Amino acid sequence: MASIKEYRIPLITIVVVLGVLLVMIAVGFTIGILSEDPDGLERVLIDANGEEWLESLPVYLQPILGWLTNDYVIAIIGVSLTVVIIIGTFYAIGYVKKSKYPEKQVI
Amino acid sequence: MHIPDGLLNPILLVVLWIVSIITIIVGFYRISNSSFFTEEDSEKLIPYIGVIAAVIFAFQFVNYPVPGGTSGHLVGGTLVAVILGPWASVIVLFLVLIIQSFFGDGGFTALGANTFNMGIIGGIIGLFIVKGIVYLLKNTNLKKDIKITIATAIGSYLALILAATICGLEISVGGIVPIEFAVPAMLYWHLLIGIGEAVISALIVYYIYKTKPVLIITEEFMGVG
Repeated sequence: MASIKEYRIPLITIVVVLGVLLVMIAVGFTIGILSEDPDGLERVLIDANGEEWLESLPVYLQPILGWLTNDYVIAIIGVSLTVVIIIGTFYAIGYVKKSKYPEKQVI
Repeated sequence: MHIPDGLLNPILLVVLWIVSIITIIVGFYRISNSSFFTEEDSEKLIPYIGVIAAVIFAFQFVNYPVPGGTSGHLVGGTLVAVILGPWASVIVLFLVLIIQSFFGDGGFTALGANTFNMGIIGGIIGLFIVKGIVYLLKNTNLKKDIKITIATAIGSYLALILAATICGLEISVGGIVPIEFAVPAMLYWHLLIGIGEAVISALIVYYIYKTKPVLIITEEFMGVG
C-alpha cells in the first residue's frame, strides 16, 4: 500500500489547480481575463442562424448534471470527477498490463 | 468547439462515433502492449496524469476574450499528446469530454464528433505536426525543451485550425449552415482563438520540462530522446 506522502505533490497540485480555477471564476470576468462571449463554434452558429435557433436545438439526452448552475460547484465537481475517472482508467490500463506482463513492474 | 446535440447529420454522427470508439479501443490495446510507462515505479506517474486532465478540464472551463465579440478556450489535444503520446491523449480527451457533457458542455450524442475533432485531429494529427516541426528544428542549436516548446506552440495552433476547419465541414454536411459560410467562419475565428491555444500549450509543456520532465514520454517518438 503506497503512502499518501508519495502522492503529496500531485495532490497539492490538484488542489492548487482547483483553487486557481475558483479564483479565476471569481475575479476573471472583472479584470477582463475571462469572457462570457460565445466561443468560436457558437459564434459561427449564431451568425448563421441566430441565438434563438441555437438555443432551440433538440437535446436528445439531458445532461445528468445539467441542473447544476453554480460555476464554483461545477468546477469542484468537474475537476474531482476528471481526476478520479482519469486516474481510475490509467490504473485499469496498468492492471491489464500487469496481468499480461507479470514479470515487469508496469502500469 | 464543443458540438451540441441536434446539429450534425445523424449518419455523420454515427460514423464519427464509430471512428472514435475504434480509435479508443486501438489506443487502449496499443498502450497495453507498448512500452508506455514500463519503468520501475512508473505507476507513481498516474496521479500526474490526473493532474494534467484536471488542468485540461480547468482550462476548457474558462473562456478567454478574443477580439470581435467571441471567446476561446484551450482544447488541449495536442498538449496532452505531446506529454502522454497519441493514444493516451485520445483516451484522456474522450473522458474529459464525457465529464463536460454531464454539465451540458457539448452534446452527449455528439461525443463521437467532439472526440474526433479534439482528440483525434487535435491529439494524434497534432502530435505528428509537432514531430514534423521538431524535425525541421533538428539542425538548430536549440535545447530539446525549447525545440519541443516551440513545436508544441506551432503544432497546437495548426491542429486547432485543422480541427476547426473539419468541424466547419461537419456542421455543413446536414445543410444547417452552408459550407461556404461555415468553413471560412470557423477558420477565421480559430485563427484568432488558436493563439491562446498555442501560448497556453507551450507554457504548460515548458513548465513540465522544468518541473517533471519524466512526464513527457514522447521524446523518443519525436526524435529528441
